[in-house]
Amino acid sequence: MQKLYITGILSLFFIFSYGQDFKFGKVSKEEVLEKFHPIEKDANAAILFREVSTYFEYYPSTGFTLITNVHERVKIYNKDGFDWATKEINYYKGANSTETITGLKGVTYNLVGGKLTEDKLKKDGIFQEEVTKYQLKTKITMPAVNEGSVIEYQYSLRSPFVTTIDDILLQYTIPINTLEVRVSIPEFLGFSRHFNPRSRLMFNVQESQKSFSLTSSSMERKGFSVTEHSIATSKVEYQQNTYSLSKTAIPSLKVESHIDYLSNYAAFIKWELQYTKFPNSIMENLTETWEGVSKSIFNDGGYERELSRSNYFKKDLDNLLEGETVPLIKAQKIYAFAKSKVKWNGYLGYEAESGGSKVYKDGEGNIGDINLMLTAMLRYAGLKASPVLLSTVNNGIPIFPTRKGFNYVIACIELNGKKVLLDATEENASFGELPKRARNWNGRIILDKETSDWVSLMPSEQSKNSYSLNIEIEDENNLKGKSLNILTGLFAKSYRDNYKNINADNYIEILEKNKGNIEISNIETEGQLLIGSDIKESYTFEIKSGVEKINDKLYIKPLLYLSEIENPFKADERSYPVIFDFPSRDSRVVNIIIPEGFEVESLPENSIFQLMGESGVFKFLTSQNGKYLRVESVLELKNLVYTPEDYDNLKQFYAYIVDKHAETIVLKKS
Amino acid sequence: MKHRPYIILFFLGFANIFYGQQNIKVSEIPPELISNANAVLRNEEISIEILAFDKMNIHVKRTVTILNKYGETHAGTYQYFDNDRKIKNQQAIIYNAEGKEIKKIKQKDFKERSAVASGTLYSDDRVQYLDYTAQSYPYTIVYESEVITGTTVFIRPWQPVSGYYLSVQNSEYNFKNPANIPVRLEETNLEESVQKNSSAVEFTYSLTNIPAYIREYLSPGLEKFVPQVRVALNEFSLVGVKGKAANWLDFGKWQYDYLLAGKNKLPENTLNKITRLLQGATTDIEKAQLIYQYVQDNTRYVSVQLGIGGWAPMLPEDVDRLGYGDCKALTNYTKALLDSQNIISYYAVVFAGEKRKDLDSQFATMQGNHVILNIPQKEEDVWLECTSQTTPFNYLGDFTDNRNVLLIKPDGGEIVKTKAYSFTENLKETYTKIVLDEAGDFIANMNRRTGGIPYGNMYHLTRETKDNQVLYYKNNWGHLHNLDFQTISFDNNRNEQNLTEQVSFKGERLTSKAGNRLLLPVNFFFTPTLDAPRIPNRVLPFEIERGQSFKDTFEFFLPKGYSAESIPEAEKIETEFGMYTVLIKSGEKEGVKTIIVTREYILYEGVWEAGKYLDFRDFMKKIDSLNNQKAILIAST
Repeated sequence: MQKLYITGILSLFFIFSYGQDFKFGKVSKEEVLEKFHPIEKDANAAILFREVSTYFEYYPSTGFTLITNVHERVKIYNKDGFDWATKEINYYKGANSTETITGLKGVTYNLVGGKLTEDKLKKDGIFQEEVTKYQLKTKITMPAVNEGSVIEYQYSLRSPFVTTIDDILLQYTIPINTLEVRVSIPEFLGFSRHFNPRSRLMFNVQESQKSFSLTSSSMERKGFSVTEHSIATSKVEYQQNTYSLSKTAIPSLKVESHIDYLSNYAAFIKWELQYTKFPNSIMENLTETWEGVSKSIFNDGGYERELSRSNYFKKDLDNLLEGETVPLIKAQKIYAFAKSKVKWNGYLGYEAESGGSKVYKDGEGNIGDINLMLTAMLRYAGLKASPVLLSTVNNGIPIFPTRKGFNYVIACIELNGKKVLLDATEENASFGELPKRARNWNGRIILDKETSDWVSLMPSEQSKNSYSLNIEIEDENNLKGKSLNILTGLFAKSYRDNYKNINADNYIEILEKNKGNIEISNIETEGQLLIGSDIKESYTFEIKSGVEKINDKLYIKPLLYLSEIENPFKADERSYPVIFDFPSRDSRVVNIIIPEGFEVESLPENSIFQLMGESGVFKFLTSQNGKYLRVESVLELKNLVYTPEDYDNLKQFYAYIVDKHAETIVLKKS
Repeated sequence: MKHRPYIILFFLGFANIFYGQQNIKVSEIPPELISNANAVLRNEEISIEILAFDKMNIHVKRTVTILNKYGETHAGTYQYFDNDRKIKNQQAIIYNAEGKEIKKIKQKDFKERSAVASGTLYSDDRVQYLDYTAQSYPYTIVYESEVITGTTVFIRPWQPVSGYYLSVQNSEYNFKNPANIPVRLEETNLEESVQKNSSAVEFTYSLTNIPAYIREYLSPGLEKFVPQVRVALNEFSLVGVKGKAANWLDFGKWQYDYLLAGKNKLPENTLNKITRLLQGATTDIEKAQLIYQYVQDNTRYVSVQLGIGGWAPMLPEDVDRLGYGDCKALTNYTKALLDSQNIISYYAVVFAGEKRKDLDSQFATMQGNHVILNIPQKEEDVWLECTSQTTPFNYLGDFTDNRNVLLIKPDGGEIVKTKAYSFTENLKETYTKIVLDEAGDFIANMNRRTGGIPYGNMYHLTRETKDNQVLYYKNNWGHLHNLDFQTISFDNNRNEQNLTEQVSFKGERLTSKAGNRLLLPVNFFFTPTLDAPRIPNRVLPFEIERGQSFKDTFEFFLPKGYSAESIPEAEKIETEFGMYTVLIKSGEKEGVKTIIVTREYILYEGVWEAGKYLDFRDFMKKIDSLNNQKAILIAST
């Protein structure tokens, strides 16, 4: 977490007034009487009013304080809304100073015998938790909450970390009736603001400026704590920029399946410090453009040092690469070496927390440590290697220039004009593969101190999952066969992630799951330990009652347990995009020997179904050659992102697959 | 007996553990301890010393070899603490597979965070833990901790096999009682191989070489079959509260006197409200019902566990004012309200959870994780779950059913069993009318009634949004295509404790064409069998904790001009695990040809030996294959 202190000279006073209807304590009987939300009848609770105002205050003894006042009035409609009567406030503690909560008060309003009653939040409903050395939490739970209660609370979060304005949430999983946000920033701090591009809600921001002309006693300070000062009375003129937005009837954030992180879709504003311009100081530009962001990370993140140091691995790398001249082989060797040498400790971050030389010795480090070390190694070997900044899936996508938008770094090398992305923190990723957490839209490649550019993180290579089954029908009822499954690319990676080193008995159990009355034996797996190679897995199986016999006819679902039996998309509508992991080709081929004394009565029809042009294709083909039947089902997905407007098409496409897979082969007595 | 150099060293003191350890090599582990194991407890030494009735020192040293990433959970390199329980020392050393030391972690390098359990708003529990990233597998951790606590009512038991996929090479438990406070012991599942040693003021247990258990489907809880020794003092302390007890009667008496007695005062205002509320109610049960409803309407569950507050309920007047509390507080509040009407009720301590767990009737110690309320009756007692705002009066469900609980009465404790739900009560019954058309599409009308244990897991559906209700049915009936729901209505009968759903919906392609015939799957809803995996070398017994019954009727109205050419034969399967019957009849109703399917499926509760598992699986698979039964419809000419 990047928290900066600043110095300056001034005194400021701010006055905030609240909208009259929503003044704290002015809860009406009507609000308590309301039985359900006028727009969202299903809502368990609603935010009647939410106000957030952020501003700066100056104190001679401590310098600036960033203050955020929050006031919320919440309506509880029913028992399932009781969770909204408990609130957690998370804040931060640094080594020398800490954020604090002040002015916390809360009231619960109920109607008792037609009269409005008030129950105040007292000390016994307020809890301070020290989560870790750096994380604090204040929890409140409101008294006397019933179905229908209105609760109201307000507090101030006072922060010495004045260059960091917290994200302001503009949407919850319950509706917000009235929202008012105001942020006032003195001119010596320049912030840019950004809305979530994944949210479809629009907000208008009113900007206003006000001149300040205050005569005050000021103090000259050096450093965060006052080391020397002189008191003088002076007249200082300032502009203060106020950004305000107000909105009514904000719909609740819908919960849906098949999404990455719900909060990625909520409306919010993020604030990013762009420059500081204090009286009597030079303006310092921090971020403004992607170049600026990349540059500031490069400079502040110690990249120059991390990327140029080689003394700690030099000897080992010289040994490793001795006599090797082919760049690709060199890169592959270094990648494997880095992975074996240092393991990821689970912490994110684009900065090297401990530094390459320390993690090289200790064998563990954060993302920044490991991948900057990898980049340094690749550079040392004479390869064109650069760090790539990115945001993990749960951190949203970096669509506006901000340092906070990134939380991860990987390496990129150019080989024969092609960019190859490498992440040495993921054991099972092969050369050029990224773990899922890092496959998020675009990353920013830092080519040198001055130059940076976008690079796509989405996998472009098709991964394949191919099954082939050879089956025979025994006793007109049971099936016997052999299965061969070949996995490539990210399918192979996922197999390794899930099943490498798993207990053999458990693995059979997993393999047999959802396959009917099956018995699997002779499992043979090749290549699972050699990361980067395809995985081949074969086994033999017997399925009891795999064939249906009705009136001398045999009915077989040819894909057996490989059939898609349910459409994964069940909801009628969709509000968020559907994003697939990687381009894929999934093929399932089944060869069936027609049993003695039978012949084909009917086969499913051949068909091809395109998904929205070239986005995807499904083929289902059957053919007969003497006593052999061949059924082939192929699903290819090229496009990975489908908007809510595409949802219907996607749903129908999968419904079609399910239908085709349900069709049966009918054999009759010959 | 195997040579065990650790024991000698142990008595030499704390500093000596970190000597060059020859036998720490992974190659020293016997092969039978490697197979099926994700980790091996190489050596464990637990040493407990009772310094006084309110002062206990716990020293633990564990050497664990982690064989793969799944074994990390067995490392156990953390220690909880709070105001009453202090960590005196903690350290760890990591060794590679060859036994070479690769890292040393001192007390100050352990990380610390709050340890508020999920579902709890606040507690004073904290944890210090080792945050270590494996360089490669296998590796070995030697972890040592020393803790001193003033609470002696809980004494760390000896249970070397603390999980599945964990082998134990050597474990030793040493208990010192220099103050000579009377001690009780309970030994469970101890085999002959366990070594015992005891004197007046000290005893020791040890065992060696127990291969890992595989987790097997439906197996009883680990504690039912692994060795365990539990210890209790007859004079003890709980966060500063002194106690004396040697049996449940005394233990219950102590809990009553120190944690409950006198905590039943209520504000005048509330008492008046209750009096008004109960006007017209005549019997105690009627009154209790109204009081329970009052509690459900005026409180919610909020868990705060601080100091002795983790064990004693907060005052009823505070619950009354705040409108919330944890299980102890809400149960005692309900009890206080009942007291005010002279209705006797008892605070009852239980192990709650879907997996049934009994309070040990033979061994009185602080047990349980939840509290419910008992209202004694001549016939069958009434039980109240006071933390739920929606549970019906006298409904326990699978959270607290059929298990030993401790009633805390003014004159002492008593172990009794909560209500068991039989398979006949745990009934889901459906009647569905399905109208088919020639294209294979259908319109269906389902009526389903659910009672007993399944009721408790179903009635929440009535509180869901319409969208979620639709998704619930679509997810449950994934085998039916393109469902479109017309009406969904519920009757949640809280008195009778059953839920009736009335659902009408359309769907596509139920039947499939084969020439001029239609194939109709007659099991419109599948029989909900258990997906029992094949376990060829099963070791552990298996248990069905609760019996269930399902009765279904599907009435198909055939497309115009079609009649049944063939219908599947009736089937009946009877086993010791349950029974299944299906009967299919064709007929005619109001001029339309019909097929009527009546099906019944019962699963009994019970515990069976591992050897019976194949038969059980066979039973499930037979029913599964009958799920595919089809009738053939033919266009009449």
